[in-house]
Amino acid sequence: MSAVTGTRRSAPQSTRAARKAGSSRPPGARREERAGWLLTLPFLLLFGVFTAWPVIQSVFFSVTDITNRDLRTPFQVNFVAFEQYAKAFGDPVFRQAALNTAYFVLVGVPLTMTIALAAAIALNTGITRFRAVYRLGFYTPVITSIVAVAVVWRFLLHPDSGLVNTVLAWVGIDGPNWLGSTTWAMPSLIAMATWRNFGTAMIIFLAGLQAVPQQLHEAAAIDGANAWQRFRNVTVPVLRPTILFVSVTTAIGYLQFFEEPFVMTQGGPLNSTISASMYTYQQFSFGNYGYAAALSYLIFLVIAIVTALQFRFLSEKED
Amino acid sequence: MRRSTLLVALTTTTALALSGCGRDDGGAGDAGAPQTGEAVSTDDLSGELEVWAMGAEGEALPDLVAGFEEQYPEVSVNVTPVPWDSAHDKFVNSITAGTTPDVAMIGTTWMGEFAGMDALDPTPGSIDTSTFFEGAQGTTEVEGTSYGVPWYVETRMVYYRTDIASEAGYDEVPTDQAGFQEMAAAMQEQEGVDWGISLQPGQTGSWQTVVPFAWSRGGQIATEDAYTLDTPENVAAVDYFGSFFDEEISDANPPEGQTEATFTDGSVPMFISGPWMMSLVEDFAAEGGEEDFGSMYDVAPIPTADGGESTSFIGGSNLGVFADTENRDAAWALVDWLTQPETQVEWYDMTSALPSVQSAWDDEALTEDEKLAKFGEQLTTAQAPPSFPTWEQVAAAFDAEMEKVAKQDLSGEEAVRTAQQQAESIGTGQ
Amino acid sequence: MIGTRSRWWLYVLLTVALVLVITPFAWMVLGSFKTNAELRQIPPTWWPQNPTLDNFTQLFSRLSFGTYFSNSTIVAVVVTAGNLLFCSMVGYALGMLRFRGRRLIFALILGTLMIPGVVTFVPLFVLVANLGLVDTLPGLFLPFLVAPFGVFLMRQFVLGLPRDLVEAARIDGAGEFRIFFQVILPLLTPALATLGILTFLGSWNNFLWPLVVAQSNDTYTLPVALALYSTGQNEQQYGLLMAGATIVVLPVLVVFLIFQRRFIQGIATTGIK
Repeated sequence: MSAVTGTRRSAPQSTRAARKAGSSRPPGARREERAGWLLTLPFLLLFGVFTAWPVIQSVFFSVTDITNRDLRTPFQVNFVAFEQYAKAFGDPVFRQAALNTAYFVLVGVPLTMTIALAAAIALNTGITRFRAVYRLGFYTPVITSIVAVAVVWRFLLHPDSGLVNTVLAWVGIDGPNWLGSTTWAMPSLIAMATWRNFGTAMIIFLAGLQAVPQQLHEAAAIDGANAWQRFRNVTVPVLRPTILFVSVTTAIGYLQFFEEPFVMTQGGPLNSTISASMYTYQQFSFGNYGYAAALSYLIFLVIAIVTALQFRFLSEKED
Repeated sequence: MRRSTLLVALTTTTALALSGCGRDDGGAGDAGAPQTGEAVSTDDLSGELEVWAMGAEGEALPDLVAGFEEQYPEVSVNVTPVPWDSAHDKFVNSITAGTTPDVAMIGTTWMGEFAGMDALDPTPGSIDTSTFFEGAQGTTEVEGTSYGVPWYVETRMVYYRTDIASEAGYDEVPTDQAGFQEMAAAMQEQEGVDWGISLQPGQTGSWQTVVPFAWSRGGQIATEDAYTLDTPENVAAVDYFGSFFDEEISDANPPEGQTEATFTDGSVPMFISGPWMMSLVEDFAAEGGEEDFGSMYDVAPIPTADGGESTSFIGGSNLGVFADTENRDAAWALVDWLTQPETQVEWYDMTSALPSVQSAWDDEALTEDEKLAKFGEQLTTAQAPPSFPTWEQVAAAFDAEMEKVAKQDLSGEEAVRTAQQQAESIGTGQ
Repeated sequence: MIGTRSRWWLYVLLTVALVLVITPFAWMVLGSFKTNAELRQIPPTWWPQNPTLDNFTQLFSRLSFGTYFSNSTIVAVVVTAGNLLFCSMVGYALGMLRFRGRRLIFALILGTLMIPGVVTFVPLFVLVANLGLVDTLPGLFLPFLVAPFGVFLMRQFVLGLPRDLVEAARIDGAGEFRIFFQVILPLLTPALATLGILTFLGSWNNFLWPLVVAQSNDTYTLPVALALYSTGQNEQQYGLLMAGATIVVLPVLVVFLIFQRRFIQGIATTGIK
């Protein structure tokens, strides 16, 4: 579905280009046809063998009752059509996981993007020195091992001696048992995911900001526009394609979020942090390949719809 | 392009239809009668053996098997260490693709699954299975057939602080479950103690705490071919487990990974765990300046009720020979050699892995440590969960219910009923 | 006015944020000099009480570090090179050239980008095993020589290039391949740097695939080898874990430092339209 959107998005560009190059089209057409395929061929070979073929097999998995015990005789399984998909809708744990994932994405994506954008603007226009230091520093969470991250965050969130509750105690607040509470475990994981991922988004925003013409800003300032107005009317329009890109990639990543609950809470307490991807992974390790494949394609469907919506709402004002 | 994709899909579907599209009712695993592997010969062994072993075992094993290579100079053993993380995935994939080693260390709860994939070679009669701890031998048996041997074992016991216990008026741990809980409550009354005992409140592996309570009441969680999670004994055991949280003797939301810290500072003076915790708590205390922590705690068997026998959970790892091996005789010779009492004692010296062969426990290296000897005693009655291929999945469902018991006051009866329903819908997988 | 005068309070705010953000990283590095027991203490210590190099010496003495390091490097470099070449070729074809089927190809590529990776893992492994590539370095890098993400990125970048360039080169009599390699590829340098660093990072940190495909010490990569001794069945060796994580992250840091200027430039010029 989003694939269609993607193609549609490129269409105006190529027709525009085609119109511009109209006169030279006939002689080049056959050459382009041939070159296009020749340049794509090596990719298509590798892609077909190592990506498309396994994908086709996994789609086949999702309409059977295959488990890991059947893998040596993959044709001796029962064809169950959409039974696995139907089972997913009736599975209370998967429903809970889907709700948790929605919560995580709806809060996490805007939060990550806002912080990343704020940091990028601060580094780009707010300061003149030590930019490289801040840039690298803000990027370290991205490259720090998740295991080390988990150990440190567990200490930070420790109910008795953790830094967070120690600070809260200074202002007279009795902090909760963050990871042990069904109310607070998910917000804790959202904070952690935001912390881990805003660096990547910030770097991309920083790059996008390079394209905002400085003169426009200065002209707007002379016209008496305040900082917010300048951001709203000068920065955002130029940054829109970047915002779309970050929003799409962050949403795809967050819809598949997995590592944080896996290392921090194992989905608990009481399944309050289990995510759709984590539940799918669990089903895989139990060997329920058919069911896990069906769950994967449900997640895929949601990602495709969300991506399509993002393209629609974030890119329409583009030229 | 789209047409060809469709074509592939159609071909696949057609192939499926032609092949009968469905399960073969008389699968290889349903042969019925227990099998014994064909006899092996130890004459003229030669060739190469590929062996996989996890973590520290994989690292130490090459030194140990040097002795085997001395005995059979024509055989060369190549050990590949495998990280514990995702080791299971590696095995399943290798079995699927037919790239298994000759011999491997196998987690006790994976046996049913791998045997169900027809990946393992049945144990030949030349290996005397009666030398192993009974519970450990049980982990190798799938539908009556033994697929490998126990390599090393571990079991769970009650750790308690002797100093705090005597303040609370206890010189030893009561062997009955009611008395045991009273002791934990009394410990909690002592100064500096926050919680009487640390029990895992649900989540992965909490069954290893709860099920021994059931076993020690004479309960069983499975028969030969079905799960029986909802028996009256199991209801009582789960209620007993839940009462620790109801009466706030145990913390239902403990911070993770702090058993050593809270045990050494005395704020949680009891917990249930395996033999590896001995060195962990002692090292931890030594780091804090307490060199003689070994004299400040002891271990005790799992408490019983209703005349049951103290029965703990037996864990550890097995050794198996893969069915695809091209050097079967040498593979089993290696397995046999690794389970000789002398080899097992040497292995204990190298890695602290506890011998699965009972007679190895008579060696001085193991008898001189009193706490270790108690583990040896507990091992003689310890049991393993059923070797059904679906056990891990059923255990996860059970653990989820245990969490509700600990944190949401779910009754034992409701918990085991739900767990049993899920177990029945999952099936034994055999 | 804007961007010229710096605000002191912004520096304070950013520095506070910086401290919060790099604390775990710093703690990981410091942790690699602590003993296992110290790492388990509550409350945790910041500076090592008894700084020790034990974790590192253990890692180096137990691991055939050179082999793992060179395997990791070979795989990451080949995968990165493959992605740079193939993805830029396809990205150019899809973004600039008109040929039948290109929309369908792009749709397929975008679609596979959204499929959770775990679902294709088993079929992919069976395939690689049937090709006889288990326990070989090609088995480690072949499946990753091309990636949908790279094609997407390169295509977006190519869309921003003026078509006149190609037309002009054609009028000069250049062949299609010469146009790609001599006219287009140099313009793609910043985008290639972006793709390069992201691909390198991903390949360098990949754990599950090399764990399953590599079946002997000779083909293990660094993350697999480090996981070997730091995680036990019942306990974690936190000290080894921290030391291993520190070692693994160093080459990534170096690559980031070398490429970061180009990295940012690359994304900026992509314009992601």
